[in-house]
Amino acid sequence: MSPGEAAQALDEIQRRQQQVIDLAVIPAWYWWAVGGLMVVLGAGVDIRTPTAIGITVPVFVVGMLAVDGWVIGRAYRRAQLHNGLLDGRAVLSILGFVAVIVGVTIGLAFALRAAGVHYPATWACLAGGLVMGLGGPFLNRRLRRVMLGNRAGVAR
Amino acid sequence: MSAARFDELIHAPTRLAIVSLLAASEWADFKFIRDTLSLSDSALSKQLTTLEEAGYVEIRKGFVGKRPRTSARLTRAGRAAFELHVAALQDLVARSGATILPR
Repeated sequence: MSPGEAAQALDEIQRRQQQVIDLAVIPAWYWWAVGGLMVVLGAGVDIRTPTAIGITVPVFVVGMLAVDGWVIGRAYRRAQLHNGLLDGRAVLSILGFVAVIVGVTIGLAFALRAAGVHYPATWACLAGGLVMGLGGPFLNRRLRRVMLGNRAGVAR
Repeated sequence: MSAARFDELIHAPTRLAIVSLLAASEWADFKFIRDTLSLSDSALSKQLTTLEEAGYVEIRKGFVGKRPRTSARLTRAGRAAFELHVAALQDLVARSGATILPR
């Protein structure tokens, strides 16, 4: 076998693995949907009447189950990603992203409440939702880059 | 033990594509592999059987609701053979002085 043929085979190996990795990319609408559901929950917390809680909590729970189920099911029906593609950097990126969302949302909610602003949870969830909608695609790109770097056949 | 071993069984073009897809997966659905590689059911079955007989692939048949579902995955031996094969290809390329850049 010539080096050129070996290079072609390695290129094919990387391309096929990329096809599986691309299945795991979360669509941009997912982040906005979760952000929107956070706002719904925040509004329920602020209004705090039994009716508001009775509507917003089920909407949040059912909504989260629906969007998560759709995203996970879509990938799972085709191929389940190999665990080895996600390493410590990916885990740290996910944890960091969650920490930023929680920090922004909770921190802002307490600050707004202390400042006497009406509907502090709603405003805070709106800010957290915006961070999620805008930041989600960056997390996606980061995870994809990590997974592509962990494919077999990639020079390290 | 050598860290690189060219594997004729894996290197056949269709099987290389199948094994590469499986290398990035824990499990991959039969239809996903078939559609991604534009193979017929029988062509994919034949290649998977060859890989299964070599001990490289495990086939799982089950049901999702009432629908039959067939999935495949690399066995530990299959993954090891694939990694040795990739290392052999990389050695070949490296010895020629060329490099493969990730896409």
